[in-house]
Amino acid sequence: MELLALLSSGIGQTLGITFGALALGAVLAVPLAALRRSELPVASTAAKILIEGIRGIPPIVWLLLIYFALGETDLKLTTFQASVIGLGIVSTAYIAEIYRSGLEAIPSGQFEAADALGMPFGAKFFRVITPQAATVVIPPLATFAIGLLKDSALASVIGAQDITFRAFQEAQANLNGLTVFMWAALLYILLSIPIAALARYTGSRLTRKVAA
Amino acid sequence: MFHSTQGVQGPDPVAFPSGEADATAGGTPILELRDIRIEYKGHEVVHGVSLAVQRGEVIALIGPSGAGKSSLLRSINFLEQPSAGQILVNGQLVQGQSGSRGAIARNKSLAAHRRDVGMVFQQFNLFPHLTALENVVLAQVHSLNRSKEEAVARARQELAHVGLTGHEDKYPAKCSGGQQQRIAIARALAMDPQLMLFDEPTSSLDPELGVEVLNTMKRLASEGMTMLVVTHEMHFAEDVADRVVFMADGAIVEEGPAEQVMLRPSSERAKTFLSAVRGR
Ligand SMILES: Nc1ncnc2c1ncn2[C@@H]1O[C@H](COP(=O)(O)OP(=O)(O)OP(=O)(O)O)[C@@H](O)[C@H]1O
Ligand SMILES: [Mg+2]
Repeated sequence: MELLALLSSGIGQTLGITFGALALGAVLAVPLAALRRSELPVASTAAKILIEGIRGIPPIVWLLLIYFALGETDLKLTTFQASVIGLGIVSTAYIAEIYRSGLEAIPSGQFEAADALGMPFGAKFFRVITPQAATVVIPPLATFAIGLLKDSALASVIGAQDITFRAFQEAQANLNGLTVFMWAALLYILLSIPIAALARYTGSRLTRKVAA
Repeated sequence: MFHSTQGVQGPDPVAFPSGEADATAGGTPILELRDIRIEYKGHEVVHGVSLAVQRGEVIALIGPSGAGKSSLLRSINFLEQPSAGQILVNGQLVQGQSGSRGAIARNKSLAAHRRDVGMVFQQFNLFPHLTALENVVLAQVHSLNRSKEEAVARARQELAHVGLTGHEDKYPAKCSGGQQQRIAIARALAMDPQLMLFDEPTSSLDPELGVEVLNTMKRLASEGMTMLVVTHEMHFAEDVADRVVFMADGAIVEEGPAEQVMLRPSSERAKTFLSAVRGR
């Protein structure tokens, strides 16, 4: 039980990195997805290159890049902050593609109906498009969030004190790696369950309204 | 430069004083299209169409598939951007249009123009995540800044108007096609449009459901609503429309009083088209 308490002290950073990166990505992906859908070929191509570029680099490399790059500057970032930024960048690219698929699932008639009613952009976007895109976007977003929870373990490499980091330290100190990492594994599974449940709940609530 | 209010003709975006159009027929047209051209990726499909619609007039726009009827109708509220031409409402040029590249209305006045022009689509395009009532309320609140209470009251009234009292809380997916189209009509009417555009409003409906919609449209017409209706319903064109415009190959081939165009068309294209659709 002492072991579990030790590992649990990493939960804060694990969740912090996961949701921090998710939030960063969810916000930054909005302009990126908008750019990706732009009618200007230059803009959409630039967005596409950016997205493919980000996704083409392994997350662990992103973390190390951010960690060392920011180490060169005067900015004093903690390993936690560097992890959020590194995984946030990766998330931006993946979430932008999720948003794009959500927007593409909405028939053009919905945009046209809102336009024909003279609705301003904000109302069209938040009252007409987003609620419908949400039903499409939430399941893949939940899958991504669970993946990110697992990928957050990479942050331990640059020294963020998450579950994996604590487990690794404990395993090295007491040579009980198997036990420690089995508990760590269980902890990750437990953390992912509420994310999946929440996503399923929101998804089904939204879908029930729209489906026939 | 002097701003003359008289005799300024041509491509300049100058609003005509109401006196000028009076000289022609029946006052300033509520809608006037001047030499509208529409192209898709450089390929022109509407070749300079002009049309004036008087207040209270019901015009049926008919013609073979691909004639450019939908394109023309959609250009009126800029769902399709005309490549050239002018659109005037009550003699006022819709703002922001200029130059040889034609009408570009991309500002606040575009939204105002669109509020004045109700649009009913073949596929209804109701908002599926909102109830019938919410569908009719939404744009009233966000486009016209009506209070929620006012918008709800008006929505109930418009839904009653199209015969849908008791269906306010249904989602579109739970309504028949005919009901959905009538909700869409109520949604447009709640904006107090000056004219209504319909693009084949009954074409995706079974005949018996189409009748509900046609009856609603007939009532609107009898109440004096100005309507421009793209339709394949020859009975509607014959019985309800004041004027019929026959389009083919991106141009108006023939137009005139409904009776004349429908029963005694003068052009070969119209004769062929009408006998073909009637023969079905
Ligand atoms: N978005 C578009 N992109 C490219 N071409 C288009 C587009 N919309 C219409 N067209 C073309 O423009 C021409 C006119 O089409 P339009 O839909 O206006 O005709 P219509 O008279 O409404 O025909 P229908 O009776 O079949 O609805 C057609 O040749 C059509 O293929
Ligand atoms: Mg059409």
